Amino acid sequence: MSTTFPSGGAPAAAPVMPDVMPTRVARKGLSGYIFRNPTIAIGGFLLLLLIFVAVFAPFLWTKDPTALAPAMRTRAPSERWWFGTDMLGRDVYSRVLYGTRVSLIVGFGVAFFASVIGLTIGLISGFVRWADSIIMRVMDGLMSIPSILLAIALMALTRGSVGNVILAITVAEIPRVSRLVRGVVLSLREQPYVEAAIASGTRTPVIIWRHILPNTLAPMIVQATYICASAMIAEAILSFIGAGTPPIIPSWGNIMAEGRALWQVKPYIVFFPAIFLSITVLAVNLVGDGLRDSLDPRLAKRV
Amino acid sequence: MFAYIVRRILATIPVMAIVALFVFSLLYIAPGDPAAVIAGDQATPADVERIRASLGLDRPFLVRFGEWVFRIIQGDLGLSIFTNLPVTRMIAQRIEPTLSLMVVTLVLAISVAVPMGVVAAWKSGSLIDRMVMGFAVLGFSVPVFVVGYLLAYVFALELDWLPVQGYTPISNGFWPWFKNLILPAVALGGVYIALIARITRATMMEILQQDYIRTARAKGAGQTTILFLHALKNAAVPIVTIIGIGLAGLIGGAVVTESVFAIPGLGRLTVDAILRRDYPVIQGVILLFSFVYVLVNLLIDLSYTLFDPRIRY
Amino acid sequence: MERRSFLKATAGAAAFSATGGITAPALAQGAAARTLRFVPQANLANFDPIWGTQYVVRNASLLVWDTLYGVDETITPRRQMVESEEVSADGLTWTFKLRPGLRFHDNTPVLAKDVVASLTRWAVRDPMGQMLRALQNELVAVDDSTFRWSLKAPYPKMLLALGKNNSPCAFIMPERIAKTDPFQQITEYVGSGPFRFVRDEWVPGAKAVFARFDGYVPREEKPSWLSGGKKVLVERVEWIVMPDPATAAAALQNGEVDWWESPIADLVPVLRRNRNIEVDIADPLGNVGSFRMNHLHAPFNDPRARRAILMALSQEDYMRSLVGDDQSLWKEMGGFFTPNTPLYSEAGGEIMKGPRNLDAAKKLLQEAGYDGRPITLVVAQDQPITKSFGDVSADLLKRLGMNVDFVATDWGTVGARRALKTPPSQGGWHIFHTWHAGADCVNPAPYTAMRANGDNAWFGWPNNPDIEAARDQWFAASDLAGEKAAVDKMNALAVDFGLYAPTGFFLSYQAWRKNITGVVKAPAPFFWGVSKT
Repeated sequence: MSTTFPSGGAPAAAPVMPDVMPTRVARKGLSGYIFRNPTIAIGGFLLLLLIFVAVFAPFLWTKDPTALAPAMRTRAPSERWWFGTDMLGRDVYSRVLYGTRVSLIVGFGVAFFASVIGLTIGLISGFVRWADSIIMRVMDGLMSIPSILLAIALMALTRGSVGNVILAITVAEIPRVSRLVRGVVLSLREQPYVEAAIASGTRTPVIIWRHILPNTLAPMIVQATYICASAMIAEAILSFIGAGTPPIIPSWGNIMAEGRALWQVKPYIVFFPAIFLSITVLAVNLVGDGLRDSLDPRLAKRV
Repeated sequence: MFAYIVRRILATIPVMAIVALFVFSLLYIAPGDPAAVIAGDQATPADVERIRASLGLDRPFLVRFGEWVFRIIQGDLGLSIFTNLPVTRMIAQRIEPTLSLMVVTLVLAISVAVPMGVVAAWKSGSLIDRMVMGFAVLGFSVPVFVVGYLLAYVFALELDWLPVQGYTPISNGFWPWFKNLILPAVALGGVYIALIARITRATMMEILQQDYIRTARAKGAGQTTILFLHALKNAAVPIVTIIGIGLAGLIGGAVVTESVFAIPGLGRLTVDAILRRDYPVIQGVILLFSFVYVLVNLLIDLSYTLFDPRIRY
Repeated sequence: MERRSFLKATAGAAAFSATGGITAPALAQGAAARTLRFVPQANLANFDPIWGTQYVVRNASLLVWDTLYGVDETITPRRQMVESEEVSADGLTWTFKLRPGLRFHDNTPVLAKDVVASLTRWAVRDPMGQMLRALQNELVAVDDSTFRWSLKAPYPKMLLALGKNNSPCAFIMPERIAKTDPFQQITEYVGSGPFRFVRDEWVPGAKAVFARFDGYVPREEKPSWLSGGKKVLVERVEWIVMPDPATAAAALQNGEVDWWESPIADLVPVLRRNRNIEVDIADPLGNVGSFRMNHLHAPFNDPRARRAILMALSQEDYMRSLVGDDQSLWKEMGGFFTPNTPLYSEAGGEIMKGPRNLDAAKKLLQEAGYDGRPITLVVAQDQPITKSFGDVSADLLKRLGMNVDFVATDWGTVGARRALKTPPSQGGWHIFHTWHAGADCVNPAPYTAMRANGDNAWFGWPNNPDIEAARDQWFAASDLAGEKAAVDKMNALAVDFGLYAPTGFFLSYQAWRKNITGVVKAPAPFFWGVSKT
C-alpha cells in the first residue's frame, strides 16, 4: 500500500483550525499571581492581617486584657466594650486581639518544632537501617495514642503555660512528620541518581542536602501548614478541657472555655473568639491547599 | 496471607508495649495526688499520707510497672483508685455510648463526604467544586464544641426536634438511640467529613485523568458507571487509609463532644480520670484506644486486597 | 478484689447493655414518671462517706445510710434512729436505746453491735469523734438494742457529734462493713436509710441510681433537715452527672432532668424565665470562700503581711466575680463564722469590711519585710470557684506591688501541693484557694480550717495557742452565752493573727421543674418528702 495523501500529490495548505483554544495572555505581576492562585492569595492575606493584629494589638484601641472589673461583668457589646465583657469584667475585644498572639505562636511554634524534629527523626530513620524499625515502632506507638489524650496527659504533668502547650502538641505531631520524611527518604534512596551518588562515595550529609531535602521540602511545607491549623484547634480544645494556657494569658481557647457555660445567655463571649479562630485556621488551611496545588503539578487546578 | 496477618498481629505487640511504658511512666512522674482528692478538703496531711500508703502509691516504679504488666497479660486492668471498681468493668459500662457515637459518625461522614468528594472531582474547577471544598475547609476550621453548642441551641432548644443531651442504649429501640446521637455525630463528623471529602476529591481527580478512564469513556460507558465502578474503586485505597488515620482524631474529638452532650462514654471517662489522676483508669483507657487504633489500621491494610487486586501479602 | 478478663468484660458489656444496664429499659409508664432525675454538684466517684469526705459523697450517703441523731433547721440534734437516751448525773456515761423495727437493706435488723462498729470506724476520721476517742472509757453494746459510751470526762456536744450534717457523718453500717479499716474504702454499700443503692446501674462519673427501700420505717415527726420522718414519695432517684453547666441548663429546660443542685448564677435568669422551672436559694448556710496563706514561709510567716491581705482584699470583687450582680447572693464577712447564724461574730473584724485601704496594706507589707520575691499562687482551673478567685487574687497581689507566680493547675494537683511544707520555690506554695460549706463554719466543731495547732493544723499550719484555748473554751461552754463569748474571742484573735482571709459569704441557687414538690433549702439535697407529678 502506498501511503499517499488522500487528496492527490502535493500536500494541501495547512487547514485552518477553529479557535477552540485561544491563547491566554498570562497576567503579569502580583495581580496575575493572585488570579492564578486565589487560595494562597486569600489565605495569605488573611494570615498577614492576623499577624498584624497580633503584633500591633496594644495599638489597636485595646485595654489591658487582664484588667479585672467584677462590677462590670458580662456586659453586652457596646461602644465602650466592642465585644462586651466576660465573667470577670475583662474586655473581650482586647482579650481576643491579644489571644491572636497565643494562637499564632502555638500554631507556628508547633509547626516549626514538629517539622524540624520530625525531619531529623525521619532522616535518621531513613538512612540508619538498624535504627529504622526501633524508631518507627516508637513513632507508631505514639501515633496510636490519640493526640488530644496525649497532649492532655502531658499537660497534666506540668503546669499550664504556652511553652508546655507547644511541647505537648508537638510531641503528638512529630510521628506523622517523621513518617512522611522517612517515606520520602526510602523512596528516593531507590532512585538511580541517588544510588549513583552513594556509589560514587558522596558523603551522606551532602546527599541529604542536595537530593533528599529539596524533595521533602514541598510535602513538608504543606504538612506544616496543616499541623499549624490543627495545633491551633488542639490548643483551643486543651483550654476548653482546662488543660491549656493559663487564664492570665488570654487565648481564644481559654476565652471560649470560660464563656462556655454562658453561651446561651451571653453568646458573644464564645462567639467572637470562635470566629477569629475559625478564620485563622481557615486562612492557614487555604495557604496549605494553595501551596499543595502549586507545588504538586499533578493536582494543580486547571486555570 | 495468613502468615501476613499473624506477622502484623505480632508486630503490634512491641507497639503496644511502647504505648504501655510511655503511659505508665508519664503518670508515674506526674504531680497531683489522687490521695489528696480522695481525702477531701477537711482531711489533715497525715490522713492523706495514710491513704496514699493504702493505695500502694508509695512503692518504686519498676515494682508497680511490673505488677501492672503482669496483670494486663491476664486481662486484669486493675482497680480504679477512686471507685474501687475493676477498670475493665468501668470501661465496659462506657464502651457502648462511645462505640455508638463513633459508628454513627463514621457512617454519616462517609456517606456524606465520599459523594461530596466525587462530585467535586467530577465538576472540578466549577462553582460546585469550590463550594464543596470551601465547606470542607470550614469543617476543619470551626472547633467541635462551637459546632456542638450551635447545633444544640438550634435543633434542641429552639426547634425542640432533638434531645439536648444524654444517651439511650440501643436496647431501648433504634429511633431513641439514634435521636440522641444525631447532633453529637454531626458535630463530631464535621472535621472527618472535611478530611474524607478532600482526599476523595484529590484522589478522584488524579484517577479521572488516567488513560483507562478515557478508554472507558471512549467505549461509551455512562458517567455514573465510570465514577463509581471504575474510579471510586481505585480511589478506595487512599480513602480507606485516611479513614483509618483520621480515627485517632475522631477519638480526640469524641472527648469534647461527650462533654458537651453529656454522653457517658470513654472520652469523658478518660478526661475525668486524667484530671483526677486515677492512674489505673487512664492507663487502661489509653491502652484500649491504642489497641483499637492499631487493630483498625490492620483491618484497613487487609482491606486493601479487596479494593486493589494488585496488592497481595 | 475481683479480676475480670477483658474478653469476659466485653461480652459482659454486650449482655449488660442488652438487659438495659445503663438506663432502666421497659419501666411501666407510671413508674418512669416516678423517677426523679437529679444533676448533682459533682461526680460521685466513690461512695465511702467515712473514707472520702467530699460533699457529694456525703450527699449521696444521706440517702443510703441513717444516723442516730439528725440536726434540724436550727442545728439542734434530734433523735433519729435512737428511741431514747440517758446521761448519767456526772455526764460520763451515755446510754442509748435504738428504735424498734430498724432494718438494713439486706433485711437484717440493725443491732447495737452494728452501731458500735460504725461509731468506732467513724471516730477515727472525724474531729469530734477523735475527741470522744481521747476521752473514751468504753463503747459497748449492752444488748441488741442498747449501747453505752462511757467517758473519762464530760462531753456536752455528744448529740451534736452524732447528729451533725458535716462530713463525715456518723452513719450506721452493718458490722461486717464497718469493720473495714478507716483508711480503706468499703466495698459494700448497704445501709438502713430510706433508699437502696442500685449498684448494678452505677456508672461512676455518669450515673448513680437509688431505689426506694420499702422496709424503712420513718419517724412520726415532720421532717426538718436530718431529723423527723424521712418519707420517700418517689420510686427511684437517678443522679445524672453533667460536667457542662450549659448542657445541664438546657436539659432542665427541656425536661430531660428534674432537679439541678447547683446552677451557676449567670444561667439563673434563663431558668427563671422558663415557666416550668422554679429557682430558689439552695442552702441558707451558704459557703465561705477562702484565701489560704502559708504560715511557714516568708512573707506570710509574719502576721503583719497576713493582716495586710485582710486589709486590702475586697470581698466584693471576689463575690461579684463568682456570683455576678445579684446582691442577694453574697455578703461581706466581718469575721470567720457563717453569717445569719447565732454564733456569727464581727468582733475585731473592722479591717475586713468597708472601704479598702491599699496604701496602709502596702505599708504593713513593707514593715513585714517583703523583699519582692515571687508569690506562688496555686489555682485550680477546673473548679469555677477557685478559678474566679485565682484571677481576682492575681490582680490583688499585683496592685499590692507583689510579684505573682501564677500556677494554673487542677484540683488534684492543688490537693497534693498544698500538703507540702517545703519552701514555695521548691514545690511548696504561698497561697491557694478553696471554699467551705457554711454548715462547716457555724461553730468551731467542724471548722477544721480554724485550727491553730501548728504542724497538725489544716494546710497553712497556723500556730497560735491563744486561738486553740478559745476553741477549747467553746467546747467546754454549757450555754449559748458562753459559746458566744468564746467565739467572739476566737474571731478577734484570728483576725489579728491573720489566720486566713475569707473572700466572702456566698449563696447558691438550686433549680427544679414545677412538677416536683417538696424541695427544701438545706445544706444538702434531701430526697425524702419530694414528689413528682
